[in-house]
Amino acid sequence: MLVACAPAAHAFTVNIAAATPKAIYLQVGVGTFTGGNYNSGGAPGTNTTINTVSVTVPAAAVGTGAAQAMTTNSASGTSFYDGFAFCNLPSQLYIGGFYRQTGANTGSATATVTATSPVNLTNAGGNTIPFTQISWTSSGNSDTGAQPFPAGTFVGGTQTIGTINRNQWAESCHTFSYANTSFRAAGTYTGRVTYTLSAP
Amino acid sequence: MNAVPRVVIVLATTLAVAGVTPATGATYLVDDGASAPQESTALLRWRQPAPSRSNDNSLLGAMAVVVRLNLAPWINHSGRVFLALPEQGTTAVKVSWTTLGRLLPGALTPGNRTLVFAGPITTPILEETLTLQIEADGSRLPGTQRLKFHFEIDVD
Repeated sequence: MLVACAPAAHAFTVNIAAATPKAIYLQVGVGTFTGGNYNSGGAPGTNTTINTVSVTVPAAAVGTGAAQAMTTNSASGTSFYDGFAFCNLPSQLYIGGFYRQTGANTGSATATVTATSPVNLTNAGGNTIPFTQISWTSSGNSDTGAQPFPAGTFVGGTQTIGTINRNQWAESCHTFSYANTSFRAAGTYTGRVTYTLSAP
Repeated sequence: MNAVPRVVIVLATTLAVAGVTPATGATYLVDDGASAPQESTALLRWRQPAPSRSNDNSLLGAMAVVVRLNLAPWINHSGRVFLALPEQGTTAVKVSWTTLGRLLPGALTPGNRTLVFAGPITTPILEETLTLQIEADGSRLPGTQRLKFHFEIDVD
């Protein structure tokens, strides 16, 4: 009788968990989404292209202090968010991404975009231009309010470019310019900036 | 000498009336201890891999569960069997399911129950496979959450 009265099992349990609790995506210049824009089912992919932003300063303007607008070779002015023509080519460089994160205790978490630039741009003759001579403004077609990746100036080191709140997409268009405040020897000066998205 | 056996018999009789013997117009838990999810954990995926302007943070996943309901106490009675999901107190979830036809398909949210069978009980063990579709709020889902279902019967 005691065995017959033992408690019977009255429940089945299903455990649920996120297959990919965290995902991040960063695009500076061109990027890759497969299967269309994300709002039509597209998925983010990898793109190893390194885009350039450049300017040729006319000889008569070198060192005059007249800022020189720079242009990009990036062919990506539309947002993979929804295909909207967000940036104007070739004057603006697209920067955008997202941060996915599950959990009730990470509501205030943000992902941070940093940029690391060398101290100087250099030419073949060993001449230099400080990276601090390059600045950018930030905007986006139809955007109002503050940009997630606001205007700034390279510091010749690592600096924060902006943040992405949890479960949000953020994007801006950067318009670069060269300050042109000092006379420089003729040549092609280059330097690479590396953008990094980090999530907690 | 006879006092102890009498106590045992009375106690057993009381339990039988309260938990096993079929009655009418009441709700009873159904023993489904032989039910078994086919995976230990349902892995949910973002409905949209990137965040959306509509702020869709839904996670979706599926899992099959073989349920075996012990309906022997109510055989030859009529009743209505429900799948219930008590309040979980954590992430908002929505569960829907399809079946092979022995139970009804349906949908459920925590704190509610949904009819899966109505009619005469003609078999002591009712076996069915439920394919659960689970949707959870990804912005609130902890590492792992347990959804504890149970079946209950209203005896006509």
